[in-house]
Amino acid sequence: MSTTPGTPETLGAPLLADAPAGKAPAASPRPGKLLRKERRAGWLLVAPAALHIGLWVGVPLVVAIILSFTRYDLPRSPTFNGIQNYVDAFSQEPFRKAILNTFIMTGVAVPVSMFLAISIAVLLNMGLKGQAFFRTAVFMPHITATVAIAVVWLWIYNPDAGGLFNRIIGTFNLGPLSWLGSPDMALGSVILVLIWQGIGIKMLIYLAALQGLPTDVVEAAKIDGANAWRRFWHITVPLLRPATFFVLVTSIISSFQVFDQIFILTSGGPANATTVITYQIYLSAFEASRMGYASAQSVVLFLFLIVLAIVSRRVVGGTDAH
Amino acid sequence: MPTDTDTLPVRDSRESLQAKRNNQIARSLGWTVLLIVSLMMLVPFVWMLLTSLKTEAEIARGGGILPEEWRWQNFPDALRAAPFHIYARNSLIIAFSHTLITLVYASAAGYALAKLRFGGARWLFFGFLAAMMIPSYATIVPQFLMVRYMPLFGGNNILGQGGSGWIDTWWALIIPGGVSAFSVFLFRQFFTGVPTELMEAARIDGVSEIGIFFRIAAPQVVPAFLTAGLLVFESSWNNFLWPLLVTRRQELRVIQVGLAGFRQDSTADWSLMMAGTAMATLPMIVLFLLAQRYFIQGFANVGIK
Repeated sequence: MSTTPGTPETLGAPLLADAPAGKAPAASPRPGKLLRKERRAGWLLVAPAALHIGLWVGVPLVVAIILSFTRYDLPRSPTFNGIQNYVDAFSQEPFRKAILNTFIMTGVAVPVSMFLAISIAVLLNMGLKGQAFFRTAVFMPHITATVAIAVVWLWIYNPDAGGLFNRIIGTFNLGPLSWLGSPDMALGSVILVLIWQGIGIKMLIYLAALQGLPTDVVEAAKIDGANAWRRFWHITVPLLRPATFFVLVTSIISSFQVFDQIFILTSGGPANATTVITYQIYLSAFEASRMGYASAQSVVLFLFLIVLAIVSRRVVGGTDAH
Repeated sequence: MPTDTDTLPVRDSRESLQAKRNNQIARSLGWTVLLIVSLMMLVPFVWMLLTSLKTEAEIARGGGILPEEWRWQNFPDALRAAPFHIYARNSLIIAFSHTLITLVYASAAGYALAKLRFGGARWLFFGFLAAMMIPSYATIVPQFLMVRYMPLFGGNNILGQGGSGWIDTWWALIIPGGVSAFSVFLFRQFFTGVPTELMEAARIDGVSEIGIFFRIAAPQVVPAFLTAGLLVFESSWNNFLWPLLVTRRQELRVIQVGLAGFRQDSTADWSLMMAGTAMATLPMIVLFLLAQRYFIQGFANVGIK
């Protein structure tokens, strides 16, 4: 990360009337009036965004934590009930199942799509003919609305013989299968959609990272006689560690927030086979009007993500660049 | 000794010939894999378009891959079955509003954080970074309550009781998602690359701080405006849950909610459904193809800087 504004010396600058300007090299001493103006402009320009995000993200987060300790069944007012919501969340089946499904989904979809993404990125970095087309094709699912994508997949997974997948396996005299309707297959079918949709953005970040790698290291390894596979595992992959950390954390965050696909494809069914934490939050808050309980569930989601971010950092060993 | 120097180049060229051939094979293999992967990624889109042009009877029968009869009439029919043009109009209004608010607010904040020295700048920057990490599902319940109990709107009294607040209004659709911490961060990244000397020179010339932002700094980061604008526009157009929660009326439905509703409350056949889906996706796909460079810059930027 490049220089942050307000490194210690620039923060100190306003205190000293004739301090040399922080960043501008060889700038003349700046009079206090100009510094005051700059400070005032800084606050003025940052205020609208800061207030907006403070009001619509900061305040709701605090309110969610407070509400998570209340019984708040609309339209009644909230009453304090301690940690009852958390006890309920971890003892009631749909939410426990949702936690399990969220972890399975993330545990399968994230590593698989990361592996595919890094492989595709390496191929795209070879300077092959038509790579712009390939890149666009792989990235396209990311740009498309998740709702629309899910409706298309609903049709692909159609349980009659007319669904695309059943047509394909039908040519081998198999099926038709109920891809989303059977409890054994539904989660796997959802995960396939998530992998398909998740490769693009990961590929793009890896590709950008690959293009920023020092070529001389790879060239040196080539001269040393390391074959392509060894070069990839022992040089490229370690060099990509910061990108891997970034991709891992953002992928986990977005995987924990998958909702649209579940809403459209399965509504969490059959028999909670595909329900996830976000879907349970939705049901608690907006179907059952249990705002306190839903808040506790959303705090649980947040805590899981914090823990997973810390664990990812330990495992991948992200650098200070992130 | 002389023999060594004689044989070396020969062996070398033979080896390099071998290496070249290996390289050639690797490249064709890589190309083939990429082609197969790309086609697999495109299958759902192609299947959507092909289905949207088939007749209902043909779909019921199974039929071949390509439509027997290309039925463009499905698109007007889908529009008659559900007002996708109204949904699209609503989504466009919201997407443009979000883009405009973001470009003004986030560029100003990003500039201040990157280039101006003021107390608390560092804390604010960490605040924005933290806000980026907060999952939207952790805040959605209170956000909904704030909108529902917005004082003095929708028949609510000063305490937010009695009416419906911002529910079923443009306010709810536009204001809460107006600025994202992510776009502030994106602008800050771009402004960091602008040489500070430019601003110092303008200051010495007596240009006001606000003037420096608008006339000196902002023109330096035109790509940032395009990138941030496109990303906001795209995510706004694709947004689903929030508009679903805060609107009930048909006239305020956005495109993704309309599409989900079309699936749920109609018995529309798959050809009409795919025609509707195509209408909900094609605008963003076209925009992406036209402005791919800026999209990619935006998505990749977050990762590497």
